Amino acid sequence: MALDKQFIGREYGPYRYTLGEEKMREFTLAVGGAKPGAGTPGEPPAHVSPLLYDEQAAKAGPHGGLIAFPSFAVVFAIRPFSAAIADPALNINMQMLVHGEQDLEFLDVMRPGDVMTTTGRIADLYERARMGFVIVTSESRNQHGTLVVKGTWSAIIRG
Amino acid sequence: MPRTYQPGDTFTHVRECDRYRPIYYAGASGDYNPIHIDPEAGSAAGLNGNILQGLCTLGWVVEAIAGFVEDPGRVRRVKARFSRPVRPEDTITFQGRVTAVQDGRLTAEVSATNQRGEDVLKGAVVEAFIG
Repeated sequence: MALDKQFIGREYGPYRYTLGEEKMREFTLAVGGAKPGAGTPGEPPAHVSPLLYDEQAAKAGPHGGLIAFPSFAVVFAIRPFSAAIADPALNINMQMLVHGEQDLEFLDVMRPGDVMTTTGRIADLYERARMGFVIVTSESRNQHGTLVVKGTWSAIIRG
Repeated sequence: MPRTYQPGDTFTHVRECDRYRPIYYAGASGDYNPIHIDPEAGSAAGLNGNILQGLCTLGWVVEAIAGFVEDPGRVRRVKARFSRPVRPEDTITFQGRVTAVQDGRLTAEVSATNQRGEDVLKGAVVEAFIG
């Protein structure tokens, strides 16, 4: 898999995303093991924190309201990574691509209505053992300009 | 009295990837890559069927540390290499061990193994605020 190093540093974004309460709840419960049905994200399994889906419990809790499951951030913070691997300039065969490694830092909680702006760049491109590696870094800031999520995303292109 | 944490403390989290979990996760996350939701597409890509999105497995690591520190809002970092696919009907056991407690922050290593004892993640590390 030939990857042209000239694309290192290529930037993607900014991408804007507004957090919706039902979408946050849906993600929490999909990860958490609920069985969604028409009109409902499903019943919360006992292990899932009520701070993530129960408005009243969350209001009485340490954050004073509902917060997003931390890795809900992937829903919007993945955008520069998905843009990079789909970038025609890189000419990547998506069927041969697997997610190799992931690093996510959560610097603040996320709440319904927060407006996140994500930017990203190709941090590295290289080959090893006849496989291609694409490394993308991302930063997501909320409407106050606070850096909330930092990501390092790595894809492996097999063969 | 708030809970205290020390190096060597352990925690465990077990999750089953039920048959339709990759489809539910696709709906919630937007990751509809056919290798995750279509067994034929997975097989055509040499994966012997469809596989769970790695980021769902990573979400389960977040659940493990969030449960241990009793508040998902305290999770500060998660990092892992996806070393083996998780497949529908797999059961994954996450075992965490605290490696450091310093300045109100806890660091732990997490292993993730399937029902055959094979690692599905490598080098998984989590950090959380405590206290």
